[in-house]
Amino acid sequence: MSMTKSIHADLLLLVRDPIDQDALIQHVRADEDGAVVTFDGCVRNHSHGRRTLYLDYEAYESMALAKIREISVQLREKFPIHLVAIAHRLGRLEIGETSVFIAVSSAHRPAAFEACRFAIDTLKRTVPIWKKEYFEDGAVWADGEMPPAPVETRAAKPAS
Amino acid sequence: MPLSSQTARVKVLFFGRLKEVVGQAEDTVELPDGAPIEALFSHYGVNHPELARFRASLVASRNQEFAAWTTPLHSGDEVAFLPPVSGG
Repeated sequence: MSMTKSIHADLLLLVRDPIDQDALIQHVRADEDGAVVTFDGCVRNHSHGRRTLYLDYEAYESMALAKIREISVQLREKFPIHLVAIAHRLGRLEIGETSVFIAVSSAHRPAAFEACRFAIDTLKRTVPIWKKEYFEDGAVWADGEMPPAPVETRAAKPAS
Repeated sequence: MPLSSQTARVKVLFFGRLKEVVGQAEDTVELPDGAPIEALFSHYGVNHPELARFRASLVASRNQEFAAWTTPLHSGDEVAFLPPVSGG
């Protein structure tokens, strides 16, 4: 255990205004870190061969924040990282805007790279957020991923 | 399955395309205490038979945790029916 590590204080946010990427980066960088790796997820102008006009994101906010927090805990269990900042934006987003931003710091770069990749991949599978894609001729809910379903458990309650 | 005569008052949330099918984002339902999440979903199928075709692609949650469809419900629980997620 290093004595110099700052107290664990990840920054995990759902926001409706543009994400302040620099604030997230500054949040995770510290003197003991040799690397900050970031992921900038942005709104693409096409989907399945159609021109996208804009996206609208909604979330089950309380659960989404809990699941994002779980990701930050997993990151720390799996990788020797320092700090994590994750922000996901909700509401209407225009082409080119950032929908999700992740920053991870670590003493050495491999951990930050791997943790950042793990964070976005896990977020896309487990965090209850949905996007609706608006096209010139209509709108559709984006094809999503099914979160890992819990094992069906038998009722544990005794009969009497 | 013997069910208690007590009722459970449960908050229900719908998201994404499911919200559009059911026509509401939030509801409160009374059902027999201990009834499984599956029974709650079936309750909405009465008025919205088209829900059946979403069943295989849905995940349920109870109190902000993914939950099996057999999970028994009690008063104060918050249940959500979650279409495949598409954040990021």
